[in-house]
Amino acid sequence: MSRAVDSVINWARATSLWPMYFGLSCCFVEEITAWTPRYDIARFGAEVLRLSPRQADLLIVSGTVFKKVAPVVLRLYEQMAEPKWVISMGSCANTGGMYDVYSVVQGVNQILPVDVYIPGCPPRPEAVLHGLTRLQEKIQSGERPSGKVFHMSGGSHGTVAPVLVDGETKTRDTRGPGMNGISVRGSSVTPPDFHGTRAQFMWTPPAAQITLSPVENEVKSQLVRRFGDAVAPAEKSADMLTVDVDQSRAAEVLQFLKFGSSPRFLRLEDYTAVDQSARQNPEHYPDFTLVYHLLAFDPAVRVRIRAPLYGRYPETQSIHDLWQNAAWYEREIYDMFGIRFSGHPDLRRLLMPEGWQGHPLRKSYNGRATDMPAYTAEDARNLQPRAGEQFYRVDEHGESYVLNIGPHHTGTHGIIRYIAKMDGETITGLDMDIGYHHRGAEKIGERQHWIQYIPYTDRVDYLVGAANEFPYVLAVEKIAGIRVPERAEYIRVLFAELSRIANHMAYMGITANDVGALTPNFYAFRDREMIMDIVEMISGGRLHPAFFRPGGVAADLPEGWKEPVEAFLRVFPKRLGEYEKITLKNPIFRARTVDVGLMEKHDAVDLGVTGPNLRSTGVNWDLRKNMPYSVYDSLDFDVPTDTISDCWTRFRLRAEECRQSVRIIRQVIDQMPGGRYISEDYRYVVPQRQDMLKDIESLIHHFVNVTRGPKIPSGEAYAATENPRGEQGYYIVSDGLGFAYRVRIRGSSFTNVQAFPKICKGATIADFIAIIGAHDYTPADIDR
Amino acid sequence: MVPVNHTYALSSWTPAVFSFLAFIFAVFLMLAVLMILTGFLGEKRVNENKLRPYESGIIPTGSVPLRYPVPFFLVAVFFLIFDVEGAFIFSWAVAVEALGVKAMVQMTFFIFVLLMGLVYIWFKGGLALKEGKDKRAERR
Repeated sequence: MSRAVDSVINWARATSLWPMYFGLSCCFVEEITAWTPRYDIARFGAEVLRLSPRQADLLIVSGTVFKKVAPVVLRLYEQMAEPKWVISMGSCANTGGMYDVYSVVQGVNQILPVDVYIPGCPPRPEAVLHGLTRLQEKIQSGERPSGKVFHMSGGSHGTVAPVLVDGETKTRDTRGPGMNGISVRGSSVTPPDFHGTRAQFMWTPPAAQITLSPVENEVKSQLVRRFGDAVAPAEKSADMLTVDVDQSRAAEVLQFLKFGSSPRFLRLEDYTAVDQSARQNPEHYPDFTLVYHLLAFDPAVRVRIRAPLYGRYPETQSIHDLWQNAAWYEREIYDMFGIRFSGHPDLRRLLMPEGWQGHPLRKSYNGRATDMPAYTAEDARNLQPRAGEQFYRVDEHGESYVLNIGPHHTGTHGIIRYIAKMDGETITGLDMDIGYHHRGAEKIGERQHWIQYIPYTDRVDYLVGAANEFPYVLAVEKIAGIRVPERAEYIRVLFAELSRIANHMAYMGITANDVGALTPNFYAFRDREMIMDIVEMISGGRLHPAFFRPGGVAADLPEGWKEPVEAFLRVFPKRLGEYEKITLKNPIFRARTVDVGLMEKHDAVDLGVTGPNLRSTGVNWDLRKNMPYSVYDSLDFDVPTDTISDCWTRFRLRAEECRQSVRIIRQVIDQMPGGRYISEDYRYVVPQRQDMLKDIESLIHHFVNVTRGPKIPSGEAYAATENPRGEQGYYIVSDGLGFAYRVRIRGSSFTNVQAFPKICKGATIADFIAIIGAHDYTPADIDR
Repeated sequence: MVPVNHTYALSSWTPAVFSFLAFIFAVFLMLAVLMILTGFLGEKRVNENKLRPYESGIIPTGSVPLRYPVPFFLVAVFFLIFDVEGAFIFSWAVAVEALGVKAMVQMTFFIFVLLMGLVYIWFKGGLALKEGKDKRAERR
């Protein structure tokens, strides 16, 4: 009898799964792809993904769980209806995967019971559907719900798998679970430590050196005239004018560069620190170095200011009053390095949770999560995010109230938490809390070798794949002076522009979705899938091709690469017109976006806003035109700009950018030159496979550069590219080893979102969702 | 209750107090049975987190009872006014032929007055939750 009841209940439950996503990463993008009609998640009884735990009986944890966000995941799970199931998706969700770093929970099964695993990084949409099918099978065959529901003893439903216990059921051996029986390094049978790299015994030519342009020379002499001995321009530089400044005068020099020099450096492009304590020859370096990158728009020129700091916990003067975005940069430096800034109004941790011990980017800090105490459900219960009343005081009389929007909110897409002070429907104050998605990508750059690191750059902004690799390889090439063959340059441009369209398609679909239109989402993802297919056909990877290499690309274009690209170009412009029709011409969409979220030009420049958001304020600034890299100066395209920066304009500009990208791709197809796809300088690159199979010299270089990484000469370089979301830059410091000494990622969203408190004040909640959607719907690269 | 004899207007159904009460009773009984059954059959695991309001996964701040701002009340009051209008219009629509032209004129006047009220509120900005939002210049 109960058998029959069981199968009825099981059938009903398995065919009407109500999934709720917890999506933070690349996996999440694949999950929402599974949601589109091409894959049709509706067959599981779920027309839509549920957004509140109260409505859901299945939690799909898609992507990495970070220590800061783990309390949120656990709360969602505990608030779900009974019975509840859990699917864990992605390699890093299951074990930490490729992200074995301080900020990552080593597998969601340490804090939650898991039913089904969907492996892969990221898994394809088909894999998501297969995982759901597996769960259905598991429910139908394995669960005995009637015992539970009729108050009888026995019976089982929902997740019952035990969570992993550190040391008992979970191994934290970085060598993998198969190495359980083999003693770790330093025992009687194994040597005490790795020999590590032998790169320091290799000879390379010194780092590349540029000759300064007349403008840079002029700035240099202005600084020397004004500040005398306090400034010392570096003799050699691989990329731009570099000036060492006495720490006590740094703020003064920066003020002069912003207001007094000619040209005026209006934007604080990037601002970070380097811990110099682990250098090969530490006597040449201070304890820490603060590094400022400034940018002048007209003429386009960058300058790097370096200020040395001494002591274990040094303190220096804050420059938050010079540039508004310096406030977050300084909080980040404080968080990551423990450097304090006097005069900073709000110096507290930015990326790591409140109460975190230590400063992760210090060289003395151990970066691997497997070397740290395990993160358990207990920790998740204790280490809650800061409460809203710590951001805004709650009004005693109930006139205004504090509302948390995000991290688990459909409008914030799992990454940011906004703390809004509300007066009725109107936002009177806005604060932001980030770090829920902090992957420690910069720390990982200090341990993976130059080429191993490329897959990590892919994931920094997981929606645009290959475009992320671009600034990284450019920076490495700048230090080592690697020349890239023309064919490789064109292939890179092809990838970058395909990424741009793919990103803007996701942007258009989901922004429209955020303001209430579901249809554009389904259509836009159809075209995004066409691009994914092209990218996969050429590189083998779907979302994260990892295709660029310092010196070129990983492989030549395959036979017949042109046909799918041309097929895409044939259908896409017409469809783009349709998308514009169903969004920009839609009166509801216009009412939600026109004149909403207005941003001023001077604010945008001062805050370091980049990309289409900057161009919407009337600044005609596109790195592809103004500081051309790769082969963009030989391609013909326009940069769309506008002067009224509201949500509607931001949306419209992106549609126009897609059109320009189509133009660029057309030219790339027509002009694609022949020849090599990777540099001939095999000292630094992975040789062409054919050469590697033929001659011993190439084989040696292949072996060395693939296993322990090429030795990149000691030096530093900054390179930025115009990514879909804005300018993404990599500042790379090499100490002449097989891996970077310091990798600094300038995420475009990090500066872009700092404009929100300004432009959201006085908006309603509904406007707010439109603003964050149209600004940048998933600020993936904000946390790095 | 007087039975409705106008066979041309409605069906021949005769309302009676007893059957009406029986119907109400049946509805309440069914609701009670369903709720007791689900409460008894289903499994409950109550914990502190489950009882908390859901606010994007963060522990909420402040309490639920708060002083509602005036625009919320205004919208609620306007809704009530225009909802009552519906009650009149529907009942008139049911008997439109029986009531004849006179009622038609009266009703038209009634609707017209309400419409004028709506237009007045609209222009006064009473329907805008946020001040000035509806006065946005259409620049494109």
